[in-house]
Amino acid sequence: MLELIMCVDDDPISLMLFKKVVNKALFANEIINATNGEEAIILFNTINNTTNLKKPQLIFLDLNMPLMSGWEFLDLFNASNFFNLNNTKVIILTSTIDPEDIKKSKSYSNVIEFLSKPITIEMLDYLKSKI
Amino acid sequence: MKNKANQITLIYTLFALFLAIISFKLAKQYSTYLDCYNFSFIKDIFFITVTGILFRYILSKNDKRNTEINKNLRQTNDKLKESNEKYDIVAKATSDTIWDWKIPEDHITWNKGIKGIFGYSQDQVGKNSKWWFDNIHPEDSIKMSIKLYSFLEQKTEKWQDQYRFKCADNSYKYVLDRGFILKDENGKAIRMIGAIQDITKQKEEENRLKLLETVFTEAKDSIIITQAVSSDNQIPTIVFANPAFSKMSGYEHSEIIGKSPNFFMGENSDLQEIEKLTDCIKNKKECFLEIILYKKDQSEYWVRLSFIPVYNLDQNISHWISIQRDITEEKKLEKEKEILIRELTQNNKDLKQFSYITSHNLRAPLSNLTGLLNLIDDFTIEDEELKEILTGFKLSTHLLNETINDLARVITIKDSPSIQNEELQIQTIFKNILNQLHIQLEKIKPKLNIDYGNVTKINTNKAYFESIFINLLNNSLKYRSKNRDLTIDITILEKNNTITIHFKDNGIGIALERHNNKVFGLYQRFHNYPNSKGLGLFLVKSQIETMGGTISIQSEVEKGTEFTLTFKSH
Repeated sequence: MLELIMCVDDDPISLMLFKKVVNKALFANEIINATNGEEAIILFNTINNTTNLKKPQLIFLDLNMPLMSGWEFLDLFNASNFFNLNNTKVIILTSTIDPEDIKKSKSYSNVIEFLSKPITIEMLDYLKSKI
Repeated sequence: MKNKANQITLIYTLFALFLAIISFKLAKQYSTYLDCYNFSFIKDIFFITVTGILFRYILSKNDKRNTEINKNLRQTNDKLKESNEKYDIVAKATSDTIWDWKIPEDHITWNKGIKGIFGYSQDQVGKNSKWWFDNIHPEDSIKMSIKLYSFLEQKTEKWQDQYRFKCADNSYKYVLDRGFILKDENGKAIRMIGAIQDITKQKEEENRLKLLETVFTEAKDSIIITQAVSSDNQIPTIVFANPAFSKMSGYEHSEIIGKSPNFFMGENSDLQEIEKLTDCIKNKKECFLEIILYKKDQSEYWVRLSFIPVYNLDQNISHWISIQRDITEEKKLEKEKEILIRELTQNNKDLKQFSYITSHNLRAPLSNLTGLLNLIDDFTIEDEELKEILTGFKLSTHLLNETINDLARVITIKDSPSIQNEELQIQTIFKNILNQLHIQLEKIKPKLNIDYGNVTKINTNKAYFESIFINLLNNSLKYRSKNRDLTIDITILEKNNTITIHFKDNGIGIALERHNNKVFGLYQRFHNYPNSKGLGLFLVKSQIETMGGTISIQSEVEKGTEFTLTFKSH
């Protein structure tokens, strides 16, 4: 079981669902979330600046979000060594089916999986075996 | 001569008579003193001697004159012969046929040429001018005789004309006839002598050249001929230009001659193309290009032109020929087409993007619904009514999810025209397909016959192939007849690099005459069945066409449906 994971999604129901499934699957102890890329960046900033805070081991990232999309977040997150100190792995969790997005996701070395919503216990079990 | 002979004879006769009379008188007077016999003898001797001397003188004189005459005669004869020979040789050398027309008698004689050139034997040749005129081509005859008689009337000395003259074999030869006239002291034409020259070859060549020239003058394409080289660095100057070039460029012929083709170029003429042309000319190579030229009124036009070297007998370039065609309209259409394609591509891209966004926006809440429903499974619900509501809720959500997924698949197929093929064992694929439909097949238990024929392998896209047959099998299962057991026959055959698969069932069928064009259309449903989305056959057709195959359908209501699918073997 992971200690801390982060979920970035603008849809509150998605977030709620994510929490419930993660708890059921006993995937992670704690979940923090952000509702868009910008919020996620600010959150990471706080984590980095506060010594006692745990760093998330895995990020579940939606793509279509207001203010800062998943892609923009990835670019910013990866560009700065500061944000990426522990080389956090990213899983894209989205409802898009655009093949361009799948292709694009492969160009990011820290994106390890491209998953279609909704998240299921089976998916998380599969991820457990992968990490 | 005759007179002289008579004269001599008369003198001689008179002299002899006189001598006879004298000697008779003398003999009579002096007969007494003279011996009559001796006297007669002496007289005869004297007479014979005198006569002999006289004869000799006359004969020798005659003889001398005769020899002289003879010699003169022979000389004249030789001269005549030589001149005749010369005449024949000249006639032969010029290949001329010579005729001699005595006009008052209307009598014509022809030399050997009439046989050598026109093939007439001596007895075929007529003796008067009628024969001559009759053998002139009917189309030339009137014109020629008018000219000839007007010449005879005007009594100028020389005449010439061209006409066609009939040969012995009835073919015609083009001839050039030249003649001159001989007049008597009153100025009346009495004789005409002419020489006919066979100019058939020249005439044919002339006609051929005339015909060739029409290519130049009548062509709708512009043709210009330039010199071989140019002293400055320009394209060599124009020596000929056809009317089409004048028309195209708007310049008069005289304004074009002597100009370099550079003259017709301007600021929008592609410099690279001009350089290409000058390079070709420098390297003596033919050249093809498309370029903007300028008319006299400075309006632009597009031409496609060739520039081709012409060689003389010494294999040196003597000229360049350039053929040019106005392609302004073509270019305009091309440009319009380009713009149209660009717009369409953009529209298409926008639409695709739109469909992805739409599908995303549909999928996002739907995935939440699905996820939430999955969670409900873990709760035990006591209330029967709530349970019923939730079941309906779940079914509808699943159906909606499937529809959205199918649509998404359609978009994805349309978006990836090039797909990856792999070589697959056909039996393995079908085994796979049947495995995936295991539950339904177990429930309905159709009679399934698969005849693999001569096919073991197929080069195809696995996902598409499976999707196609899962769809077809699902349709057969879904639309089976309630009145009989379901039978599905699949027959596979390879022929001419094409694999044909017949897929036949005995289900309820489709009323094709009513739905013919719509069978493979999007959202077409032909039966009032629940769970029918009207997407299956559209998806099948999209997938098979993406792989370069075809699909056709035959069906009869309450008999069954047969699909014929073709795939490329390689």
